[in-house]
Amino acid sequence: MTNHWIDLKNSDCILMMGSNPAENHPISFKWVMRAKEAGATLIHVDPRFTRTTTKCDIFTRIRSGSDIAVLGGLIKYILDNDLYFKDYVLNYTNAAFIVGKDYTFKDGLFAGFDEKALSYDRSKWAFELDENGVPKRDLTLKDPRCVMQVMKQHYDRYTLDNVSRIAGTPKEDLVKFYKAYAATGKPDKAGTIMYAMGWTQHSVGVQNIRAMCLVQLLLGNMGVAGGGVNALRGESNVQGSTDQGLLYHILPGYIGTPEAKWQTLEEYNKANTPVTKDPMSVNWWQNRPKYFASLLKSMWLDDEPATAYSFLPKLESSSAAKYSWLVLFDEMLKGSFKGFFAWGMNPACSGANAEKTREALSKLDWMVNVNIFENETGSFWKGPGMDPAQIKTEVFFLPCAVSIEKEGSITNSGRLMQWRYAGPKPLGDTKPDGDIIYELMNAIRGLYKEYGGAYPDPILKLNWDIASDHAFDPHKVAKLINGFYTKDVTIGDKTYKKGDQVAAFPALQADGSTCSGNWVYCGSYTADGNKAAKRDKTQTEMQERIGLYPNWAWAWPVNRRIIYNRASVDKTGKPFAPEKPVIAWEGGKWVGDVVDGGGDPGAKHPFIMTKDGFGQLFGPGRVDGPLPEYYEPLECPVDKHPFSSRLHNPTALQFAAEQKAVCDPRYPFVGTTYRVTEHWQTGLMTRNTPWLIEAEPQIFCELSPDLAKVRGIGNGDKVIVESQRGKIWAMAIVTPRIKPFTVMGQLVHQVGLPWHYGWSFPKDGGDSANILTPAVGDPNTGIPETKAFMVNVTKA
Amino acid sequence: MNVLRRQFLKLAGVAAAATAFGGLGFDLKPTTAHAQLLKLSWAKQTTSVCCYCSVGCGLLVHTAKEGSGRAINVEGDPDHPINEGSLCAKGASIWQLGENDKRVLTPMYRAAYSDKWEPKSWEWMLETIAKRVKDVRDQTFETKNAKGQIVNRTMGLASVGSAALDNEECWIYQSMLRALGLVFIEHQARI
Amino acid sequence: MSGKTFFIDLTKCTACRGCQVACKQWHKLPAEATKQLGTHQNPQDLSFTTYKLVRFKEIEDKGGGLRWLFFPEQCRHCVEPPCKAVADGYDERAIIRDELTGAVIYTEFTKALKDLEPTELCPFNIPRKDSVSGIWGKCDMCLDRVHNGLKPACVQSCPTGAMNFGERDDMLALAEKSLEAAKKRFPKAEMANVDDVRVVVLCAYPPADYYEFLMADAGPNVAPMTRKAMLAMLTRPFRQS
Repeated sequence: MTNHWIDLKNSDCILMMGSNPAENHPISFKWVMRAKEAGATLIHVDPRFTRTTTKCDIFTRIRSGSDIAVLGGLIKYILDNDLYFKDYVLNYTNAAFIVGKDYTFKDGLFAGFDEKALSYDRSKWAFELDENGVPKRDLTLKDPRCVMQVMKQHYDRYTLDNVSRIAGTPKEDLVKFYKAYAATGKPDKAGTIMYAMGWTQHSVGVQNIRAMCLVQLLLGNMGVAGGGVNALRGESNVQGSTDQGLLYHILPGYIGTPEAKWQTLEEYNKANTPVTKDPMSVNWWQNRPKYFASLLKSMWLDDEPATAYSFLPKLESSSAAKYSWLVLFDEMLKGSFKGFFAWGMNPACSGANAEKTREALSKLDWMVNVNIFENETGSFWKGPGMDPAQIKTEVFFLPCAVSIEKEGSITNSGRLMQWRYAGPKPLGDTKPDGDIIYELMNAIRGLYKEYGGAYPDPILKLNWDIASDHAFDPHKVAKLINGFYTKDVTIGDKTYKKGDQVAAFPALQADGSTCSGNWVYCGSYTADGNKAAKRDKTQTEMQERIGLYPNWAWAWPVNRRIIYNRASVDKTGKPFAPEKPVIAWEGGKWVGDVVDGGGDPGAKHPFIMTKDGFGQLFGPGRVDGPLPEYYEPLECPVDKHPFSSRLHNPTALQFAAEQKAVCDPRYPFVGTTYRVTEHWQTGLMTRNTPWLIEAEPQIFCELSPDLAKVRGIGNGDKVIVESQRGKIWAMAIVTPRIKPFTVMGQLVHQVGLPWHYGWSFPKDGGDSANILTPAVGDPNTGIPETKAFMVNVTKA
Repeated sequence: MNVLRRQFLKLAGVAAAATAFGGLGFDLKPTTAHAQLLKLSWAKQTTSVCCYCSVGCGLLVHTAKEGSGRAINVEGDPDHPINEGSLCAKGASIWQLGENDKRVLTPMYRAAYSDKWEPKSWEWMLETIAKRVKDVRDQTFETKNAKGQIVNRTMGLASVGSAALDNEECWIYQSMLRALGLVFIEHQARI
Repeated sequence: MSGKTFFIDLTKCTACRGCQVACKQWHKLPAEATKQLGTHQNPQDLSFTTYKLVRFKEIEDKGGGLRWLFFPEQCRHCVEPPCKAVADGYDERAIIRDELTGAVIYTEFTKALKDLEPTELCPFNIPRKDSVSGIWGKCDMCLDRVHNGLKPACVQSCPTGAMNFGERDDMLALAEKSLEAAKKRFPKAEMANVDDVRVVVLCAYPPADYYEFLMADAGPNVAPMTRKAMLAMLTRPFRQS
């Protein structure tokens, strides 16, 4: 989230699209309802009428996967009707940038497409630069190659007719939504988006979100109270686990994982440190070498950063097609791995094409499975269709403590890092994950120390001072993540002693004199103590107006609660929305939230994380195009795109063996997956909880009364849902909350299932809906397309 | 007598008892919760944050100071500015996640081709896993790639997990995995 | 007499079921074995171990409108509880009323009522009998919490302001204000059974749309509470039972 949960109350219009917050982030609705009580319009755009819809003023029903068509229509509506926030667009976005002559867009393809490699040469999308290397701008916005004009031309095809035909949505329902949301283009009005996996789990996942970024930038909704682009993250610490780099492509603090082509730290820094000659551009990533050196130092405290760099494994490429989730399980199926850790995860139910995942587990020599409960992954060898006598995989199940039994911090969707304390001791012989990791690595280090082995240096030299009294110490690690001085240093007139905590990331150094396990968390545990544990609700009158609570816990970065807040004021530091100011320049200083970028009003461009400092309407960084373009999901009910000849995202992540149903009469219905309030993820932590399984005891399939009639299915009947990949049973919920769509003149039925169930428990609960979902994904991130696929439904 | 009572008693077809009972000293025995509240005064109170979705709702956890030493109540923290004491169905059930007889309480091992789990000691498990890790790493470690570039990576091991860990645990987990040379490192955020 | 009152604003309920589970958590009530029967509502009904139940109902209107209605159901803690009137005929210790709050409390002596049906005790069809012990059970207003200055578990858990609890006058004032606000969006909004119970329910639509027992059948002549009647009620003294 660029903003935070409480900030929802400040919004004038809340768009919930690709999400179902009343069900999946129920307490967010405390703040959504506060906004509504203050007069905000609530909009739900979704294939289904859900508990969220019941509280909304506008419900626009769209077919699963048609989001970019619908959002493209909104962009066109805003541009056609001149509803954008002109000063903001001109001064704070790249609308005036001139796109280079090589850029073209023809019939669904951007310039630079390689039909053989199915990828783009992104240099064709570059901006025109002046003699200093700064992008040229046309402040009249009239140049036919300026971003505004390129964008207008691109979305010209997203007519109400086209959008309505492909999304299956009546035009009047689209206009109602467009009109209400576009009204937030006024300077003092804020609109916000609450999105979740309904947008990300698509072969165009990143571009779904990009499309909304365009809308928010056009309407001046970034950086303001009640605005922003707000991802409702699905797990209590998935923000934190991402921040800490538990992904193949990033190290802690969003430092890209080194690739083989950068053999030294110097080469890495040269290739990964953006340079700008615009003095108004903060270009924050110019500091990357300081953050990376401090990270390397935190891991290998006794080595120089350049040496520590050589300890890190190098990727061949950071492409999602190389190491991401779906590739990992594809490699596992091929027998590429001998050992595997499934730590606090249940991939046998959570991954797309679950049967493929389950089969892949049988190719391992051994697996370590850390969990609270027995689960479909650790026990895959006794699952449906498995013969234990034929399965070689050794499994080590390690039982861990639950959250209320341990101490440490987690980071919520609003980037708020909050400390938890231990209540009861871990039950039985269970251990906190931290102790398991600590003790396991001790055992591995012991073996390398005694016997040597392949390249032991990174293991033996690793900073493993993370315990006190032989137990994992979360405070020690939290201090290391914040960072400290590794030697006595004098900076200006201040001297810092070796071991002193670093106060904030501007103090981090590239020479190894500081360590910091994660620069974005630098400032969280300082000489002032553990800020994640703060419980102080005091705030200034200005902060109170928008519910900022700056002294409750701590948010990254530098306790800034609303990111890009510099875009909430004009060039004199005056808030666009005087009633809901985030920051303001008063008496020669900034007040309110922690300002982005620093300096006097008007001195810096507000989008400090981009090289040029402007919000990117035209975004040349994504692998599948600089502007979001509508493509059908890889499994879809139509064989023709309504306004180009490219049916699918040409760069989507795909696997040769993965069959896809496109207009396949065997799988005539659009399927989607989702969550319910009473369960969570693969259901392991809720199926085993009696009060929750009581409320939602079995897998269900929601379908419309029309489809039920066609298939002779009664409410509460058992049905079989089948896709190209497998089939499962489910209990039918026949409900008018689901309705068929008219798509390109054809009647298209939609059905949906929750993915919370698994064969291990309860016995009559059903199995994972991911048995149905395709292992195909977004080309930028590799996220699987589990929100739109094709199925058949029959009475069991 | 009010409308409701009059109407109902007529409908129910029973005679109204004349005496309204005025609370003359009966104990309120049926409330099992009464006993629980007494227990709370013997409890340690700690704060925590909900482990389910990412709203970050504050919790109050009450743990018995004597006897079982177990949690006896978990509810929303009224002082917390985000949830102000409220919790959804999942958050409200957290007590039952901890005090749950389906939790596995000891390490379990499944041998190759076996059809059952066997309990094992932590010591045996961690030592055996450490040996397996070292064997695979030593066998599958790549110093250089096909182009001759130094890559220092372990190709025979992969990891998924976990957003269920605390920040500090995530950090040391990535530190361990990268020191071991893993490149196949993924978790919930990808999917 | 004043005492405590719940105010349930159905225009705000999202059926997150925090209340349903928080009730079980506080009282440590066991879960029931349930099945998916074609509705998200589960358990299907109140029971000796389910005091609080969120009822779900879908209504399709002529003209294509769709309403999905939620009703977090519980004992209404009647001002003059009919169940007590009935029970006193069997054993005066069976059902008692807490003076301080007005809570209607069932004791183990309710086993004297073993031959009755719920609707013979209650116009809202609330109490349920344990088939083994014959004891009756239902919402106890979290009396132990309330006596110690805490809100009932269901109220504390509610995120949206659907469940409210406090001094009766405060709750009636809140109810009145909420009704006025609700009327802007739901012209037919009404209050169910304000006078007679300690659980005042604001309904966006006719109460029977939610659940047949939402409002006790007080006869055809009793009109829904109008704003004027509501004001009149607020200003008059609360009757002693």
